[in-house]
Amino acid sequence: MNLRLRGKLDQLFTAATGLSVVLLMLVLVAILGPMLYRGSNAVFFQGTVEFRKMQRDLFRRVDDTTLNAEIAETEQFRRRVYAMIEEFRKGVDVEAMSSQVRDIHRSFGEELRAKNVPADSYTQLRGLTRDIRDNLQAAFAKQDVNEIRPLLDEVLQHAENPAFEGTSAEQFFEIARGFLATAEKVDLSHQQEYAAALREVESILFHTQDLPGLLGPRPEEPQPLLVMLRYGATRWDQAQQLLDRFSWVEEWVQDKPGEPLVMRRTPRATLFPETLQPLFPYVEENAGQMLRPKFTAYWQFFLDDNVNGHYFGGVGPEILGTLFITVVGMLFVIPLGIVSAAYLVECAPDGQVIRIIRMAINTLAGVPSIVFGLFGLAFFVLFLFPLLGFEPKPCILAASMTLAVLTLPVMIRASEEAIRAVPRSYKEGALALGSSRFHTFMTVTLPAALPGILTGVILSLSRIAGETAPILFTGAVSMGDVPKSVFDPTRTLSYGSYDMAVGDRLAMMVPHNQYGMVVTLVLLILILNAVAIVLRTRVFRKLRGQ
Amino acid sequence: MTEEREEMQTTAEHIRKSDVRTTLAISQRKEPTASAATETCPCAVIRSENFSLHYGSKIGVQNITMDIFPCSVTAIIGPSGCGKSTFLRSINRMNDLIPHVRTEGLLEVDGHDIYDKRTNLVNLRQQVGMVFQKPNPFPKSIFDNVAYGPHLQGVKRKDELQHIVEQSLRAAALWEEVKDDLRKSALALSGGQQQRLCIARALATRPRVLLMDEPCSALDPIATAKIEDLMGQLQSTYTIVIVTHNMQQAARVSERAAFFCLGELIEYDHTSRIFSNPRKKETEDYVTGRFG
Repeated sequence: MNLRLRGKLDQLFTAATGLSVVLLMLVLVAILGPMLYRGSNAVFFQGTVEFRKMQRDLFRRVDDTTLNAEIAETEQFRRRVYAMIEEFRKGVDVEAMSSQVRDIHRSFGEELRAKNVPADSYTQLRGLTRDIRDNLQAAFAKQDVNEIRPLLDEVLQHAENPAFEGTSAEQFFEIARGFLATAEKVDLSHQQEYAAALREVESILFHTQDLPGLLGPRPEEPQPLLVMLRYGATRWDQAQQLLDRFSWVEEWVQDKPGEPLVMRRTPRATLFPETLQPLFPYVEENAGQMLRPKFTAYWQFFLDDNVNGHYFGGVGPEILGTLFITVVGMLFVIPLGIVSAAYLVECAPDGQVIRIIRMAINTLAGVPSIVFGLFGLAFFVLFLFPLLGFEPKPCILAASMTLAVLTLPVMIRASEEAIRAVPRSYKEGALALGSSRFHTFMTVTLPAALPGILTGVILSLSRIAGETAPILFTGAVSMGDVPKSVFDPTRTLSYGSYDMAVGDRLAMMVPHNQYGMVVTLVLLILILNAVAIVLRTRVFRKLRGQ
Repeated sequence: MTEEREEMQTTAEHIRKSDVRTTLAISQRKEPTASAATETCPCAVIRSENFSLHYGSKIGVQNITMDIFPCSVTAIIGPSGCGKSTFLRSINRMNDLIPHVRTEGLLEVDGHDIYDKRTNLVNLRQQVGMVFQKPNPFPKSIFDNVAYGPHLQGVKRKDELQHIVEQSLRAAALWEEVKDDLRKSALALSGGQQQRLCIARALATRPRVLLMDEPCSALDPIATAKIEDLMGQLQSTYTIVIVTHNMQQAARVSERAAFFCLGELIEYDHTSRIFSNPRKKETEDYVTGRFG
């Protein structure tokens, strides 16, 4: 081969290695970049007034006077929405009106009794309101305005009756007038559809049984039991999603038989008669005024406990639990790993048994982690704990031990290589000075092997902190208290991410919290690794005498 | 130079006085006088009688019979693979580390059969120090390296350790070079310094015998000269056995020399005799360079 060709090949090789490094970096950026960006959304976002309300109620963090002023300002804009919807409902939601009318009739009777009205006039007035009630309900059942009008006229002729003045019966006439006005404007044959569409609008704007809405519950409503339903959209991006759902109806339709389904978006406003039309532009234009988005750095995300399955974020107990499990796990892995490695290198005779043990260790390293999870459940939780007199329930101790078993092969192999790599001359030097084999190992071999052993520690640390399957049955829970001892189960970042992904339809609504949790896990492992790497570098430098 | 000599002797004095074990054998040991290095002592420290060592079926050394005398330098020369190092390592039983080793015959140090079952290896190795071919300081500080042996012997007091470290480093002629940074890692020293540190480390356990397995083969001529000079100083106090490939070195430093070939001791005599008028043909061929 001539010299020039050789030079060219060398250059090519250098270029190829450089390229591979660049590719690796790009892949890293491509994987981590979007995740970091999305995860950072859990901490940095446009927080709405609802977020600040939540912070005040749950964590007492926001200044009360400024927040109250802000709430009052947003209330001004919200009030029109409430009013418009109420107005429209009066004409359309006949069931609601029917029950309202019944309630009025009943409370009017109670009022009369409270006033000690004489018996004959009581009977007369009750008869009157009964007629009014029946006429109203009859009117509600009709859909033709010409049939409705005489019924309501009959009701309204009692409007001037002084006996009803200042009583709840006045509401009859209000309802009657409202209904008449609507009946004249709106085609009541679509009453049912309107009512259903209105219920949907209400659920988007306020809340449903189990999902929060844009503005949160109306002021006069009783507080919902679920904490997350008590607040509207806490984040502006969430609010915009809800606004989109508010403005557009999405449905999957098939244009022709045999063709794939396509999604069609139609403006929601078309579902309603003209009387409600102004609501849609109003909400779209004034959403900002109703919610007041403001840039928020929610760094307490890393400390707070979460509420209602991570709806509001907060991964404090998860971080604590992950650290707890990791530390306890390392307490098992490090001594066991080093001792096993030391035995394999220093003491073990070179026989069939050792070869089998070594093979078993190598095989263990490749066993799927879920297998370890079930093993942990069967062996530690259900077998060992009752044997030792502990309660056989999943807990941190069981989870840590399972994880320790999982990572032991990695640790043993790294330590074995490290111990084997210690120059023989070190050992000989110590033995020649009269040191025993154990003492030689402890004072010379182990310190010299420490950097390599720390590499094993780093590898197992990342594995322990990030594994989900082994702790599934042995110690992780999706909610619960912060653990007080190693005999309590705990929440962890890894299990939390998994749980949100599979068991929680909230994840669709709060992907930022899911990403936030995953990124927190990545950061936590990075920090732990950085500490270990710095430690390793320092040990290495010290050994090298630099 | 004379000053240094005196210092050496006080060091030796200290080491001898504080060593309980050596007081038992003190009668065998000559008082270090100015002429100690040139006189011969009739009583052997190491006595080998028909000593053989096998690695499994392979022969290491065979039928070695020789006495090594105290307070002198004895050189073992011979071609590669002739069993010089094996014999040297047998003296403090370093061969035990190799599996399937078998020994026959007698090897005594201070009158004790070291291959006896009751032999305390720790005591033996503290009495018979060893310096290896390649400098092998531990990856610790200079101080910790030297203090390793005394620490093993149970010396825990800081000032006492300090004292022993200083004495040992002085004895190994390294004190002046490292006294200001005893906390520095031993691996930061140069090769020659590392080897002298290893000598100091071996001296710190106050041995009677110092085994040196080609101590200069990894060093440059200047460092070699320093080590050789050091051996000259140490032989007044210690019994030194050195294995070397370098015949000039053997001629320079040793009082007696043994020529090994193919696992057997061919000839053992005063160095001057080995090099000038050997009795055996093989020896003559070897030292004159016609063989090996």
